[in-house]
Amino acid sequence: MTGGAVLLVAAWSAVHTVLAVDRAPHETAAAVATACAAPGRPLIGELFYDAIGDDTGLEFVELYNPTETPAALAGMRLEAGDGSGPGRWTSRWTGGATDTVPARGRFVIGGARVVPAPQAIVTLDLQNGPDAVRLVWPDGRSEVLGFGAHEFPEYVCGDPAPDVPSGSSLARMPDRSDLGSNALDFQAASPSPGRANRPDRDAALPSGSLVIAPEQPAPGTRPRLSGAIANRGASAWSAGELVLIGREREAETWRERFAIALDLAPSPGDTLPFAIDFDAGSVGKRLLEVRLALPGDQAPENDVDSLRYRVGRGPLMVTEIQFHPVAGEGEWVEVRNQSSTPLDPTAFRLADRGTGVGVPSDGAGEIEPDSLVVFAEDPAALRLRFSGLDARRIWLVRPWATLNNSNDTTGVADAVVVRESDGTLSERVAYSAAGVPAGVPLERRGEDWWPATAPEGTPLSPPRTFAAQAARFDVSPRRIGAGRFAVRLSWALPWERARVAVELYDLAGRRLQSIMADGLAPGRSERNWSADATPPGLYLLVLRARPEHGPEAMTATQPLRVEGAAR
Amino acid sequence: MTSARSAMVLRLACVMAALGPIAWRAAHAQEFAGPQPAWPPLSSASLLEHGLPHAAGGLDASAFTTRWYGLPELVTRTVALGAGWRALRLGLGVSQTGEPDLGWTALALGAGAAGRSGGAGVRVVARRDRVSDFRFDAPPGAAGVEVGAGVWLEAGEGVRLWASAPQLETVGAAPPLRRSLAVGGALELGELRAWLIRRAVPGVERGLRGEHVAGAAIMGAPLGAWLEVEDQPLRGGFGVVARLAAWSVSGSVSSHPVLGETFRAGIAAGGGR
Repeated sequence: MTGGAVLLVAAWSAVHTVLAVDRAPHETAAAVATACAAPGRPLIGELFYDAIGDDTGLEFVELYNPTETPAALAGMRLEAGDGSGPGRWTSRWTGGATDTVPARGRFVIGGARVVPAPQAIVTLDLQNGPDAVRLVWPDGRSEVLGFGAHEFPEYVCGDPAPDVPSGSSLARMPDRSDLGSNALDFQAASPSPGRANRPDRDAALPSGSLVIAPEQPAPGTRPRLSGAIANRGASAWSAGELVLIGREREAETWRERFAIALDLAPSPGDTLPFAIDFDAGSVGKRLLEVRLALPGDQAPENDVDSLRYRVGRGPLMVTEIQFHPVAGEGEWVEVRNQSSTPLDPTAFRLADRGTGVGVPSDGAGEIEPDSLVVFAEDPAALRLRFSGLDARRIWLVRPWATLNNSNDTTGVADAVVVRESDGTLSERVAYSAAGVPAGVPLERRGEDWWPATAPEGTPLSPPRTFAAQAARFDVSPRRIGAGRFAVRLSWALPWERARVAVELYDLAGRRLQSIMADGLAPGRSERNWSADATPPGLYLLVLRARPEHGPEAMTATQPLRVEGAAR
Repeated sequence: MTSARSAMVLRLACVMAALGPIAWRAAHAQEFAGPQPAWPPLSSASLLEHGLPHAAGGLDASAFTTRWYGLPELVTRTVALGAGWRALRLGLGVSQTGEPDLGWTALALGAGAAGRSGGAGVRVVARRDRVSDFRFDAPPGAAGVEVGAGVWLEAGEGVRLWASAPQLETVGAAPPLRRSLAVGGALELGELRAWLIRRAVPGVERGLRGEHVAGAAIMGAPLGAWLEVEDQPLRGGFGVVARLAAWSVSGSVSSHPVLGETFRAGIAAGGGR
């Protein structure tokens, strides 16, 4: 070959080479479109193409090297494909001589705002699906990741991965997955540049799973903390390896409350419940931080959760509940400041057992220690019903969570829940509506709740006290009629609480009706009864009582005369 | 059954049929029920209480007290007088029950006719509520009157049947206790007696629901005693009577499972046995 011929061949060869390089991606793409990963080469580990809001500087492509040897990226090209037409690949980045993915390591190519900073910073300017990215190695091998519904096969391997919502990345799950299809290898995930998509070991506390019962434990008791443990790693751990650590904030320091090795070993992908008992400690408001400690845990960010709770009584105590008003005054709840310092009512929230939370407003001043205020559905209507109430101590709560009037299958009608504005419980009162006459509020007497001694209730006042009573059972008046049929039944039993029933008999000893069904009642109490449906005659009211526990029992009888003409 | 006995039974049935339709709306109190067995009528108190005249004639007087269910505020004090001339029977009684804010005063009149084979009578009781001891000082309208009747027959040798509608009609204030038609039968064998009574429950249409009393007595001289059991609710009682010449002293107690015991005690002169 002459020198000229050599030059010509060389020139042609050079042109051909150039043309081949220019054409190669397209031709290679058509040839290896179904190849999801180049054997022995780093993989596309994660792709983040659609950040919430402005994408600029946040997009990234993570490469993962599953092998035991570092992988050089020199000459490897990262290309973006526009799925709207065939052959629309454009190069975004080409590996330099020093770019290397460590053995079992990661290499991130991404924008300047990616945290932690990528190994290669580049504006990728990726489009939302249907689109694709591709790795093209110097030897012509390539890997394609397509997402969204594609028309042209060059943009996908097998079936395309889903077009994920903004804020999510497409992550290879697990990190070594190579099942021959983008759809099988990739799924939506939280972006994790530079970190494993599914760590080998990862114990997690699912957010919001922690529950303490009782919600307001008494001092010195052992409440139960329950929650869930998720294995979000690729491998299991051994029972006893995982330690649950609880600590509480005290002043400026954290104090450990417990550290308990859990016998839980969920399989990868599984979640199991746990429950532990711990000492509640002394009275006070608490922020409990719960942390998981698992040796080798590769995702510590999901190991911590916290919850607020209170030991002992809160500063605001519920004292009276009107859940079924009949005089148009609206529902209301009376509370008392049982702390030693004034309280701001607006720093509290009122709710039922649902999800609504009412905020107090339109009152004035603070709640002095041992003082009462009323949280009302309709303060104006309440003042109309009870003239003379101090308007400053009646707080409108909005939205008002309507309280139920009848019991559910558990025997509870509803609950009144008072919390501080940070969510810490002050008091929760679950009440039963059974046996409470319509319109009569429930009031707190000691540690128990009973129908109010004043049938209309006593907002902003303590419960009405009973007059001294000589007999165990009394009926007043003993003669009724002429349109006056209201009878007050009162009892003073030798027990604090008792099961009480009242029955009506005639003079011949016939049992005519039950006036008060057998139920729990305070040892000293009253009940109003209307005898308007009772025919004229002489009757005997019999109170039968027995203590809540124990074999004793007593019966007391009182006569009642109902006047009227013979029917 | 002889034709005469059949005729008597038929007559009793006719009387009961006549009383029945109106008896279920009747009402009555028991202030003239003394410490006596339910059968037979022994004094004019039976005429005043049930409209059943006693067979023995002559004069009789009785005084007794009842403490209802052991309640001190519910005590009845009663005096009854009676006279019989040939078949005619007359009775007069007065009674006071309960403390002033509960009680009432009753005045009763009875008239009837009776012999060995039967008797019939009517009763009228006037009551007035009171608000203080020993005075008829109830407000206007607090008085009421009731009228009742009773009949008994000898249905056979030692067999007695009777019916009592103690409240056939009422006027004014209602009586303290509603009572309905009661029918009974008794078997007498010398000094031994046994009886069974069915009482309609007030307020139940057509008397379809009944209460029952069964009793037995040995009424000798100078002592007699009796037992009774009653249903709805199940309860029982007993009584004793001691006689000396024309005088008798008697007492009874009946026990209610819930309300307790009702005590009666009395003294009487004359009357039957």
